[in-house]
Amino acid sequence: MECVVQGIIETQHVEALEVLLHGLSGVPKERVRVHELCLKSGPNLGVVPSEVRLLCDLAQPTPSWTIRHVGGAMRGAGAEQISVLVRTIVESKASKNVLHYFYTLGYKLDHELLKIGFAFRFHRGAQIIVTVTSTNKMPRLHATDEAVPVTPGIQLVEITAPAAADNYNDVVSAVSAFCEYLAPLLHLSKPGHSTGIVATAGAAAASLMSSGGGKTL
Amino acid sequence: MPPVKWLMHWHPSPGATVNSQILSEACGCAESLGGSKDGRWKTSIFFYRAMTRDGAGGPAGQQHPDLPRELLGVALHERPGLYFSIVRAQRLVLQADAAFPQVMEKLQSYRIRVALNFEGFQYQLGDFCLRIGKCVPNNSEALRGIMMEVEYYPLSSIEKSKAVMEDFFDIWQETVAKKSLPGQFIHVDSSFSDYGLSDQYSCQHTAVQYATCLQQLMAAVTVRG
Repeated sequence: MECVVQGIIETQHVEALEVLLHGLSGVPKERVRVHELCLKSGPNLGVVPSEVRLLCDLAQPTPSWTIRHVGGAMRGAGAEQISVLVRTIVESKASKNVLHYFYTLGYKLDHELLKIGFAFRFHRGAQIIVTVTSTNKMPRLHATDEAVPVTPGIQLVEITAPAAADNYNDVVSAVSAFCEYLAPLLHLSKPGHSTGIVATAGAAAASLMSSGGGKTL
Repeated sequence: MPPVKWLMHWHPSPGATVNSQILSEACGCAESLGGSKDGRWKTSIFFYRAMTRDGAGGPAGQQHPDLPRELLGVALHERPGLYFSIVRAQRLVLQADAAFPQVMEKLQSYRIRVALNFEGFQYQLGDFCLRIGKCVPNNSEALRGIMMEVEYYPLSSIEKSKAVMEDFFDIWQETVAKKSLPGQFIHVDSSFSDYGLSDQYSCQHTAVQYATCLQQLMAAVTVRG
């Protein structure tokens, strides 16, 4: 399982966000360059349609592949009340022929994206990963070198935290608490429930950049 | 780098069957060569079948022509953190980790129809390790075949190890022949290059050998339990 929230931020404020995240996490950022391929089952395959994502990590010297299945979100009155999405997730590393493998199994490429940015991984009540990326599309099949931003000037911030059935409440609390620190710069909410950019972001960013991140917001 | 490994399976003489006595005799041969028993092993193979909306995994005749008729999953005893999936018709071997079956379960596009276990004892014999085992369906004792692994620790190059493996195979054949059993062990000869595998031995090579071994077992064996 994982807990997830997302938000958007103007590209001009990303540097300030990076300063803030570095200050809060105490860890260096990691480069993110992930080619994400979304595959869907062919018309006759499976009793129900299915979808699987293949992630190719291009930030490493040797690209590595991960298969990712995103499951349904937790539902019910309890789920409605929390501000963090809790969903099942299954991931597996895979050899580099994984795309060919799924094509052979009858899956088709639905769309592909290139996510470029950075991430911070740290522990603050729970293991938390904050990624800040621009989402890019490719004009030709798999042409990652020619990718262009889908929304120039806007980047996606995603906070994810691994969770299990017996601890997700604690993880939700940790994520929610961390989100409060970022509130002056961006608003984070469940995927699909975006509230847009934050009005105070400009002032907050200026404050962060002028103080080099040493000042609390 | 994993050491090189050969798989062999028991090929019964025409009209003969596979039975547990042959397995016992093969284990006796390992011990007579000086092998010391030092544990058990189990490798599992899973047969997946495509689920289609116009036949939902029914008999083979209803399979969509573009989907693989056979998809195998292999869980090797020596690498519990890994999982392999093979589409033999396409000469494709995927290496994934142990969470991969959960992905397939979530997708529900392919479902496991049959699970087979290869299990038995292993013997250390100098620079060799012998694993002699039976092939049985999961949760059943019905013997489907007998096979063995011969692992040679010093070498990882398939080409460089060929001579020593052939020599061992000859010695093994002679030892088994003295028991006058109705059949013989045959080396599972896999075309590794067809799968894009190199001369350096790997777990992917083992997975491919198991897939080939299974095909040969199914073709050759008439079983009586």
